[in-house]
Amino acid sequence: MQKSLLAAALALVWHSVVLCQNDTLPPAAEEEDFSMYENLDFADEGAKRFCTPKVFDLSPAKLISIGYDYQGAFDVDYGAMQTRIAEFPGSTGKFSGAGGMRVMANIPIVSKTNVVLQGGINYARTDFYSSDQSTNTPLHTTLKEKGLTTMGIHSTLFKPLDAERFIIAQAASDLNGDYGLSNIHPVRFARTSAALIYGKKKNDRKMYGFGLSRTYRVGEINYIPVFLLNWTAPSRKWGVEMLAPARVHVRKTISARSLLLFGYELEGNSYRILRNGPFGAENLELRRSELRIRAIWETSMYKFIWLSLQAGYRHGYSFNVDSFENNKEFFRGFFGDQAYKQENTLNGTWYVQLSINLVSP
Amino acid sequence: MKYFLFFTAFIALASFSTLQDTEADRLLGVWEPSNGKARVKIEKIGNKYYGKIVWLKEPNDPATNQPKVDSKNPDASMRTVPLKGYRMLKDFTYSSNSQWENGTIYDPENGSTYKCIIKMTDANTLDIRGYIGIEALGRTDVWKRLEMKK
Repeated sequence: MQKSLLAAALALVWHSVVLCQNDTLPPAAEEEDFSMYENLDFADEGAKRFCTPKVFDLSPAKLISIGYDYQGAFDVDYGAMQTRIAEFPGSTGKFSGAGGMRVMANIPIVSKTNVVLQGGINYARTDFYSSDQSTNTPLHTTLKEKGLTTMGIHSTLFKPLDAERFIIAQAASDLNGDYGLSNIHPVRFARTSAALIYGKKKNDRKMYGFGLSRTYRVGEINYIPVFLLNWTAPSRKWGVEMLAPARVHVRKTISARSLLLFGYELEGNSYRILRNGPFGAENLELRRSELRIRAIWETSMYKFIWLSLQAGYRHGYSFNVDSFENNKEFFRGFFGDQAYKQENTLNGTWYVQLSINLVSP
Repeated sequence: MKYFLFFTAFIALASFSTLQDTEADRLLGVWEPSNGKARVKIEKIGNKYYGKIVWLKEPNDPATNQPKVDSKNPDASMRTVPLKGYRMLKDFTYSSNSQWENGTIYDPENGSTYKCIIKMTDANTLDIRGYIGIEALGRTDVWKRLEMKK
């Protein structure tokens, strides 16, 4: 019996010794010889290294964004328009402003080392404010009575091929038109855009790529080569974030939780309009495109909740109306000579946009 | 007889505890994140697991040519601490099924700390998931075990 007790006691002491060893703190960092970690290799022979989609100090990716966009007073010069019922002469419409909510979610679906897939939704509303009675062109009436809405889905795939090369694929489908949440247009009016980019990440301060996009950013469908560049200077105070020609920004890093961007973004889409008016039998779309030259301040309010405030000049790039024969989309590009149904000029004005964002790790 | 039962129960308990420790200690070692920019040594302090940076692909800051420091840390007093030796994984405890929880991961590139779960998918591979609030809002990085060159 005494032997059993002795064995139990020894076992207790042995176990305590093991635990005590685990409680011992490792030597301080400065005492450790780090050179021993240079001569290591993967335990798995087939293991690969993959590049990530970020460079140092890149502006944070937004997972959820809720904001408001407001444009100051502006005029629209409407061209003459012949409809099946009447002819409308050229005129000018005055707006005291335009604005609306913008909501976006971009959630990781798959987030692994060898593939990152994100998917999301977006909503953008523009109400046009006008008491101008001097023009009777249908587009003016439609804008001030119904406004414009975009609702869509989008996804982005980042596929690293190895430690340096990667592919980015993007696709989006947007339903744009003179509708509200109570009278949403049929899904068949949705417009699809996509982009495919092949690139290289040379180091943690530079990644670039080339590709092709099918885009409505110029208001109507177009196929445009794209150039991606995310670059951070060695000082890490300045950088460039570019997906030309859609957007180009110079970045000034103020701190890890605050930055400024200076540059532009081209925003656009094709909006199905006038469906319920006296011209409803015609298949018309407003080719709306805006060039926004701007400064953006982004800062962390609390941990991963960021505020984004942007202000700048909104230049009207396109505001023409197209009529679709047989209700089919067509390609005009930069050199096509198909006539517009109505040629308009959206005059420039200032704008501001404020958003609260949950940003990605 | 009474002492024998006590002794047997004690040994069984001690063995189970040791077995659990052995299973949990599979996390110990040197690991490399997928981008290959750093190597992290995971060690055990008390009953918790910690990971510190022991190697950097680019050890010096190209702007100053000095060893990299934790310049993005939100705590200004920490911004001169060298990155080499910095504990970026903290407070992990073993739960079960090759998973370590209740820890945090620090990203020295932006000075942010995230909640983190570590899953061992095989003996030489870790899924490190950092997230905000809920696991769905996060990113998983795959770390590979390193060993001495043969």
